[in-house]
Amino acid sequence: MSLLEIKNLNVRFGDKNAVPVVDGLDISVDKGEVLAIVGESGSGKSVTMMALMGLIEHPGIVTADALNFDGKNMLKLSNRQRRQIVGKDLAMVFQDPMTALNPSYTVGFQIEEVLRLHLKMSGKQARKRAIELLEKVEIPGAASRMDAYPHQLSGGMSQRVAIAMAIAGEPKLLIADEPTTALDVTIQAQIMDLLLALQKEQNMGLVLITHDLAVVAETAQRVCVMYAGQAVEVGQVPQLFDIPAHPYSEALLKAIPEHSLGASRLSTLPGIVPGRYDRPQGCLLSPRCPYVQENCRTQRPALDPKSNSLARCFYPLNQEVA
Amino acid sequence: MTTPIPSVAVDQSLLYPSPYKEFWQAFSKNKGAVAGLLFMLLVIFCALFAPWVAPHNPSEQYRDFLLTPPSWLEGGQLQFLLGTDELGRDLLSRLIHGSRLSLLIGLSSVVMSLIPGILLGLFAGFFPRLLGPTIMRLMDIMLALPSLLLAVAIVAILGPGLINTIIAIAVVSLPSYVRLTRAAVMGELNRDYVTAARLAGAGLPRLMFVTVLPNCMAPLIVQATLSFSSAILDAAALGFLGLGVQPPTPEWGTMLASARDYIERAWWVVSLPGLTILLSVLAINLMGDGLRDALDPKLKNAA
Amino acid sequence: MAVVLTARDLTRHYEVSRGLFKGHATVRALNGVSFELEAGKTLAVVGESGCGKSTLARALTLIEEPSSGSLKIAGQEVAGADKAQRKQLRKDVQMVFQSPYASLNPRQKVGDQLGEPLLINTNLSAAERREKVQAMMKQVGLRPEHYQRYPHMFSGGQRQRIALARAMMLQPKVLVADEPTSALDVSIQAQVLNLFMDLQQEFNTAYVFISHNLAVVQHVADDVMVMYLGRPVEMGPKNDIYARPLHPYTQALLSATPTIHPDPNKPKIKIVGELPNPLNPPSGCAFHKRCPYATERCSTEEPALRLLDSRQVACHYAEQFLDGAA
Repeated sequence: MSLLEIKNLNVRFGDKNAVPVVDGLDISVDKGEVLAIVGESGSGKSVTMMALMGLIEHPGIVTADALNFDGKNMLKLSNRQRRQIVGKDLAMVFQDPMTALNPSYTVGFQIEEVLRLHLKMSGKQARKRAIELLEKVEIPGAASRMDAYPHQLSGGMSQRVAIAMAIAGEPKLLIADEPTTALDVTIQAQIMDLLLALQKEQNMGLVLITHDLAVVAETAQRVCVMYAGQAVEVGQVPQLFDIPAHPYSEALLKAIPEHSLGASRLSTLPGIVPGRYDRPQGCLLSPRCPYVQENCRTQRPALDPKSNSLARCFYPLNQEVA
Repeated sequence: MTTPIPSVAVDQSLLYPSPYKEFWQAFSKNKGAVAGLLFMLLVIFCALFAPWVAPHNPSEQYRDFLLTPPSWLEGGQLQFLLGTDELGRDLLSRLIHGSRLSLLIGLSSVVMSLIPGILLGLFAGFFPRLLGPTIMRLMDIMLALPSLLLAVAIVAILGPGLINTIIAIAVVSLPSYVRLTRAAVMGELNRDYVTAARLAGAGLPRLMFVTVLPNCMAPLIVQATLSFSSAILDAAALGFLGLGVQPPTPEWGTMLASARDYIERAWWVVSLPGLTILLSVLAINLMGDGLRDALDPKLKNAA
Repeated sequence: MAVVLTARDLTRHYEVSRGLFKGHATVRALNGVSFELEAGKTLAVVGESGCGKSTLARALTLIEEPSSGSLKIAGQEVAGADKAQRKQLRKDVQMVFQSPYASLNPRQKVGDQLGEPLLINTNLSAAERREKVQAMMKQVGLRPEHYQRYPHMFSGGQRQRIALARAMMLQPKVLVADEPTSALDVSIQAQVLNLFMDLQQEFNTAYVFISHNLAVVQHVADDVMVMYLGRPVEMGPKNDIYARPLHPYTQALLSATPTIHPDPNKPKIKIVGELPNPLNPPSGCAFHKRCPYATERCSTEEPALRLLDSRQVACHYAEQFLDGAA
């Protein structure tokens, strides 16, 4: 049984006829696995995880055939039950460490808060454990940092503190939403190494949400590519990067500068992601796809198994001739 | 060799409604704000067309009908819908004519404090080293004095009357505009688009009035509507104290003052002007809330 | 090729007060930067936060005066320029900012914003200005109808196009681009980078391209300058630096940059720690506390920028990397 099982997740803001922000998404994550969710703005990747954590508020409507975490149906939980899981077994690290920490409380207080709420620790025990956590995330001089305020820490340090808070509850699944986008490249490498080390050590599931394909290539085992709210390809790393099946995956890979070394222009797809007003009737990529055929414009493909991955395309690329 | 124009079926940026439509859509969602707006439109209508709307001359005294109750009570007359005051003057006509004064006081005091307030705030924000602190200390001193007492003091020095009431109220509300403008200006000065305007060679006047000021307007507009309502209250208070508009000019506050003695005998002479003040202030405040909700998120909204 | 910008020993120090009784400390944000820029070429400035690249951008665009050193743009010395000369300098250097959401005036129509540089600096009539604006809009891929629209109606990529159009309206000799695509998605980044390249070809503008993304830099740059704590540590032609980085910091940056096809044989250089506090910089070489090859000498003697293997490098032991790639 998977640790995380999401089937046919739909999130829309407004009434039943509003355009979905997440459209029929299926995701599964096993214990100890690293899944990357890749997409650009408007792909719905962050909203997916917010829906899982129960953070979508009115006027957002979340529906799914299944939204199970660790065997529990997240859709049917009461607020109280959800609060017991979120922050403990299911934890999240956000993009901007500067705003993810409460500026009015010390770092130590915030970590101890998690320990108090979820692990029922108190006093000296909590403080000791908090210092241990800070050491685990490789913050030098952990004991003295306990009394620091977030604004006194650099971006990298703050993100480490945020990670410490996330793993304090010994989570089974950690969701990292663009954890290194706001950081410098050497700090980024440190933080990614840290996340992976912690993941291995505690055998956590890790869902990494990012738009940076290179980070995915170096850290994840499986990847789900999202476009305009749908999953368009789900496959293994590095196969998906070597032989992408969906034209969008191929376009993303081609648009990266390292792909076009020596060429004067980068390869791009014309146009932009469809928004609220111009959602195509057929395949969502059809207005921009270089391989588009007639039926692509009128019918919507389903996410089906192809040679090396699941892809949502009538004419997938790089298929093995059967 | 130019970059090809993105070929999307419909360009989203063209489907966006104009800023005015966007604003109205957001504003009209707030039922209280719309109700406030409608009430204020009624008041404005009364003020503009008072001589034709009011059934009687506000100063005309009907000696035979002193302290007549409102028409729905026993003893009331239909010709005096809301009754008459102690001198036999029709209350409804006085209230309608009084709206002119209240609107006049509100509008002129806001304009008289908004313009210098914005200027001082702009200068304080653009020159934070010397000029700024000087201006702000002056404003701090003004804020340290209770506003009503300050108004009373000014009117006491200048003498009672309509114009001096307006001046007093304007002076008293000046510091809040200066503070607001300065805070907004200082927030905007760090933004990249201001640097870009400097890079384009914009001089100080252009930077102040074309680049920065339009982006500071939202909190100022909200403050202006709220000052409007407190201007009416201040005028009423001054009138109540006998320092503001002098009788027989129908002003809601003065009407309250002169009717103090009749609270028990003829409650309508006191309550109805009071109710009018209450409703007007409530309407303006609701409008102000609606304006703030409609304006602020739009400014922060990055598509 | 004509040299359009010459910087010699640019320095920028800030006095920071440390509280009521502690007196002042000096932050050396820029500590002796020198380079030359030719028309139509791109110099990429690479470094992490705190390396001084933003300060450099502000000095190059004349927003701030350098504390010392000289800056010459299109032959005109910046220091001591009179009012008319300053006006001309304004037209010669422009900037594109990182955040597409903050760099456009939310309360001004796009057409007005694009026309503003012309309004301030030229004597063109309103009709002529409008014509030029429409021409530039076409060139960056905007439609004529967009003239009337406000910035919040556009996506991030479109806003960067508008920002770029505004910067190019006066056809400056130098364009400083401060992380112009960092906030954009990959495919939008590709479109915008292509636009940058097209405009450079069209107007022969020199670019100073500031970025921390080494993959993007490899694509756009002709020359690269790697900065650390206010000074350049390695500087030279792009291909040489990428093929054979000689400074340990450059090597670390390249190693830390993730790639789609990671080479399992290439060992990752682990860098520990963070950027030192600029108020209290390390003695000797600023990088020695984090450098895997540091010696006694590195902590006492600051290495000078010297010519080695077709580029400049500031390291005592750069020779050790000459034969093998790091």
